[in-house]
Amino acid sequence: MLLDIIIIVLRETLEASILISVLLSVSKRQGVRFTWVPASLLAGLVGAVVYAISLGEISEWFDYAGQEVVNAGLQFTVYLLVVALIPVQWLGLARSKHVLRNLMSVIVFVALIREGAEIFVFYSGFLQKEGVLLKALTSGFVGGAVGLSVGAIVYYSLAMMRQSRVKLFHGAVLLLVAAGMVLQATQLLIQIDWLSSGAPLWDSSWFIGEASVIGQMAYAIFGYEATPSLLELCAYSLSVVGIVSVAALVIKFEKTVTPFEEYIK
Amino acid sequence: MSKWWLKYIGLAMVFASGSVMAGKPVFELVIRDHLFYPAELVVPAGKKIKLLISNEDDTPEEFESYELNREKVILGGRKTVIFIGPLKPGIYPFFGEFNMKTAQGKVIAK
Repeated sequence: MLLDIIIIVLRETLEASILISVLLSVSKRQGVRFTWVPASLLAGLVGAVVYAISLGEISEWFDYAGQEVVNAGLQFTVYLLVVALIPVQWLGLARSKHVLRNLMSVIVFVALIREGAEIFVFYSGFLQKEGVLLKALTSGFVGGAVGLSVGAIVYYSLAMMRQSRVKLFHGAVLLLVAAGMVLQATQLLIQIDWLSSGAPLWDSSWFIGEASVIGQMAYAIFGYEATPSLLELCAYSLSVVGIVSVAALVIKFEKTVTPFEEYIK
Repeated sequence: MSKWWLKYIGLAMVFASGSVMAGKPVFELVIRDHLFYPAELVVPAGKKIKLLISNEDDTPEEFESYELNREKVILGGRKTVIFIGPLKPGIYPFFGEFNMKTAQGKVIAK
């Protein structure tokens, strides 16, 4: 039971923790002060509590499909915001600092709503059982601490990188997390029959089982799926192509504007 | 201001719910004392199935299955719907993530 709780909390914390670490690193590199962080964390937690409290009612929307619709909506939103973030952070224009700060605040806010709500709902189950709650909170704390440590490792690894290389790594980690979210969102829409389901294309559970710790972590970080259907594969590929093409356009644009910027220096 | 588009949304919803109603077999699953009833659910293979899950406990549960690729929170005293399949014949385990020790079950597609 203890290990189960650690893994549940870790799974929910990991994705948000990695996402926030990358955003903090972007913030630092772009010279945006961290003043936006506490407010968006707080807003995200409040949002999570509100969502958790209203979950019972939301779940009954659209003939019991409300939970999936809202979660998928939140995940698609994070994806689109990440796509928008890439040109803003890569071009690093002086005027974009404001936009960058706002974009990152909203990403953190939206990402925390979903992950946080699940943790709150999970713990609400322990409120009736006295004595167990403390144990559950302690295990949860361990899970959360491991999640935050992974985030810290990501942050400091990025901090040690050279400026020329770090942009690419920011983009790569954001891509993994955001495309994973699209994959999960697609699966949610299949679950409520809004998208049609197909037979799995392959089964890689012999290699990494989804129930294994590695599988669960891979799921949390980039949406690992051992038995994806064609539709899920397409959604994942499209979201990767989306980010990569935006990034390619930005690189092309950057090359054409650099001489001009050097000229005005 | 005319809300002509509301009509279309209404119409679309009627069609959508109609397609859901159209002949998908419904199976019921109950969560009670952190156990699934029935623990073994036999369903026809090759068909999409509507799973109606009621949580009769007063604590939340998360229906989860790696084999079925499904995951959904069901609050205490509430019910929900999940679609599964079409499945190849086989055994597909599921569990309640919040009470993994007891809440275990399997879908058997025949």
